[in-house]
Amino acid sequence: MEYIEIIIKSLAAGVAAAGFGILFNVPQRTILPIVILGAVGGLVKFGTMHFGTGIVFASFLAATMIGVLSIRMAHFKNSPPLVFYIPSVIPLVPGFFIYKMMLGIMSLSNITDNDLYLENLINTVNFGVKATFILVSLGIGVAVPMLITRKETVKKKKPKNKMVAVQQGQTNK
Amino acid sequence: MLLDVGAALMSSGASTHRTRLTLERLANGLGFKIELLITQRALMVTVVDKNQEHFFSRLKRTSPHGVNFKIVSGISRMSWRVLEENWTVEQIENELRRLKKLPHYPRLVVLSVVGLAGAAFCRIFGGGLLDMLVAFVATFAGLFVRQTAVNYKFNPYLSIYFASLSASLIAGLAEFFSIGPNPEASFATSVLFLVPGVPMINAVTDMMDGNIQNGTTRLFNGLIIAFAIAMGVFTVRALFNF
Repeated sequence: MEYIEIIIKSLAAGVAAAGFGILFNVPQRTILPIVILGAVGGLVKFGTMHFGTGIVFASFLAATMIGVLSIRMAHFKNSPPLVFYIPSVIPLVPGFFIYKMMLGIMSLSNITDNDLYLENLINTVNFGVKATFILVSLGIGVAVPMLITRKETVKKKKPKNKMVAVQQGQTNK
Repeated sequence: MLLDVGAALMSSGASTHRTRLTLERLANGLGFKIELLITQRALMVTVVDKNQEHFFSRLKRTSPHGVNFKIVSGISRMSWRVLEENWTVEQIENELRRLKKLPHYPRLVVLSVVGLAGAAFCRIFGGGLLDMLVAFVATFAGLFVRQTAVNYKFNPYLSIYFASLSASLIAGLAEFFSIGPNPEASFATSVLFLVPGVPMINAVTDMMDGNIQNGTTRLFNGLIIAFAIAMGVFTVRALFNF
């Protein structure tokens, strides 16, 4: 039952990713890969969380997965990787935590009772710290594969050699 | 011409490094060397020809308009073809004009798909079917308001405020009349379609590349957007007073 829940959530993440892709006006040929990437990201996040990983690390893993896969997809579909990873990472954004944090901050300004204030403060900081760390880990998780694999470009070697040849030809002239 | 390409890239949401890469690739294909200064709102380029005899500098403002990955992707492909097929400047200009004219998806399609995305979000955060419906309607209406506000040339942050206000107003109504099993989920997810994902992720990528200045600019842009969303939600919560 829990596995079904994980799969449904992942599919929902895929649909959400496609929605954002269309909002950002991606080329039509990249929509299907974006759905897949979003779903895979959701699967990694919710799957690892099911086996007891913390939400921050799970998000990091999912973002890294998306980053690596989006580089492969970029080869396939002739689009820069950012077209793939930005829409697929957005469903992992911890909207609920951010919302809870905002609520907490708002209610803090109204509370006069000391104990209640303290309790609220703890909750708010808890949600806020989680949300911030997830956001940072998402960004870094996506950026790291890009930095590791990239020297000059994500394209395969063949055109690259051509470019080198063109450049050398020019300098020789 | 290079300035036009660069400005199109920056304003449609490419990272600084990608803009630089693509422009250098283009210039290589045409047989020039270039030096670039890339900032968020302006672009400076110096073109030197191969004999180092003539050079040419120019500055161009980049206008901020919406994220458009079709342009990013199209220009990137074009730069490869320029290398491989030895295009002329005129061909590049035509291609750029064609890319800029490429249609967005029809408005109704965008609205409903983003609405579906909102519903999917709601599912992720544990909402029931009825909550998903609420999230769909709220997202749909919110995006509609945002597009309309952008068309009327409101300040971008103000249009985001309007969108977040109307989306959370609808979700808040649902929560007020306690429609659905988990109305809090739909309320929290109704504004998620406004999340500044592109500026935030590009900010991190830019900073990791060492383009700290551009990264900070983008980060602050993202923060202001987040603040605008929060203001919309606050207004609704103050209205319903829960």
